[in-house]
Amino acid sequence: MRALHPFTLLAVAAALPALAWILPAPAGGLATAGIAFCLLGSRGLRRGLWPALVAAAPFWLFLLLLHDVRTTLAIGLRISTMVASFVWLAAVLAPDRLVEATVARGWSITAAYLFAATLSAVPMLRARARRIVEAQRCRGLSPRGSVANRLRALRALALPLVLSALHEVDERTLALEARGLVPGARRTPLAPPPDRVVERVVRWGLLLLCLAALVRRVA
Amino acid sequence: MSARLLALIPVAVAISLALSAAVDAVALPLFLDTTGTILATALAGPVVGIAVGALTSAVNTLRNPTFWPFVVVQVIVALYAGFAARAALFRSLKTAVPAGLGLGVIASLTSTPISYFVFGCTTTGGIALTTALGKALGLPPLGACFFGSFVSDFGDKAVTFALVASVLHALPRRTAARFPLALRAIGAA
Repeated sequence: MRALHPFTLLAVAAALPALAWILPAPAGGLATAGIAFCLLGSRGLRRGLWPALVAAAPFWLFLLLLHDVRTTLAIGLRISTMVASFVWLAAVLAPDRLVEATVARGWSITAAYLFAATLSAVPMLRARARRIVEAQRCRGLSPRGSVANRLRALRALALPLVLSALHEVDERTLALEARGLVPGARRTPLAPPPDRVVERVVRWGLLLLCLAALVRRVA
Repeated sequence: MSARLLALIPVAVAISLALSAAVDAVALPLFLDTTGTILATALAGPVVGIAVGALTSAVNTLRNPTFWPFVVVQVIVALYAGFAARAALFRSLKTAVPAGLGLGVIASLTSTPISYFVFGCTTTGGIALTTALGKALGLPPLGACFFGSFVSDFGDKAVTFALVASVLHALPRRTAARFPLALRAIGAA
């Protein structure tokens, strides 16, 4: 599955939730959820099905709390399709292959940089946030008590994180300028993922299928 | 877009997503997931803010797919924060907090139809429970959904605006001056 072109993976992950919402409930949602969970099943129980089931379960619980069984079934199957599709996408889509694919397609290097830089910056800042929380606790910061006390603690935790991140912008700017990454620049991909004819046909087919389902639903 | 603004976008997205660690530590019912969007807008204008908001939703979607439809809310937040920055509403907490409360109302008005029609008001546990409370109080389904969104958004956006105002005032003037809108947002230009 990982060998598929990233655009094909994106097309499948987008088409399944779209069809779940367009096709009549509950049969449409049941079919799309079935396909999405089958795709996830190929990743195994622990890495595929389990995270999706854990993510979808609260929605079913809250839907039952707020709605009747018919509505719960209709919305629950649609949300489950969405959850399963994106959990599958996150498991099979390699960000570096997506960047290579966008560069090979001639998209702006800016878009590729933004996506890749964000994915690498998020875990780094999360780790820093945890370190700041531990450091402030060592200095005696108490994050408990009244709401005002907690808000003061939040300021003491958030401010160093945000300010340190903003100071990092200077370093990143210099690095970008030094590497000639300016808007409009074109790059040559090192290892572009192969885009076979059959995959292009599948992508167009999915788009036409969604459009046809939409027209049929509206008509 | 300059290299500086290009470098700011991923950092602002990461700020939005990393602040959850600080929120968890103080155990307050806040999201702060629009902090990066508001901060980037206050520093560099709504175009950068919209890019940050869209990217935040995209990255969040890989973790929790229910975030993607709310990309519209991020765009509204960026536009509102752009207006607030041009009006120098980040100049003090006395102006930032009411502006944040106003955004809370607008954000809940925007997110309610998405939450109601796409997710049946079950986007988070807190929203679902407050929606159930609204129903128990006799509100109609859409009204109960708005009640749920309003309770969660109102305070969150006020705290986010206050936090961004604190950050802008704590930034050294030389650093702030490197961004096109920062000094105007705090009423120093």
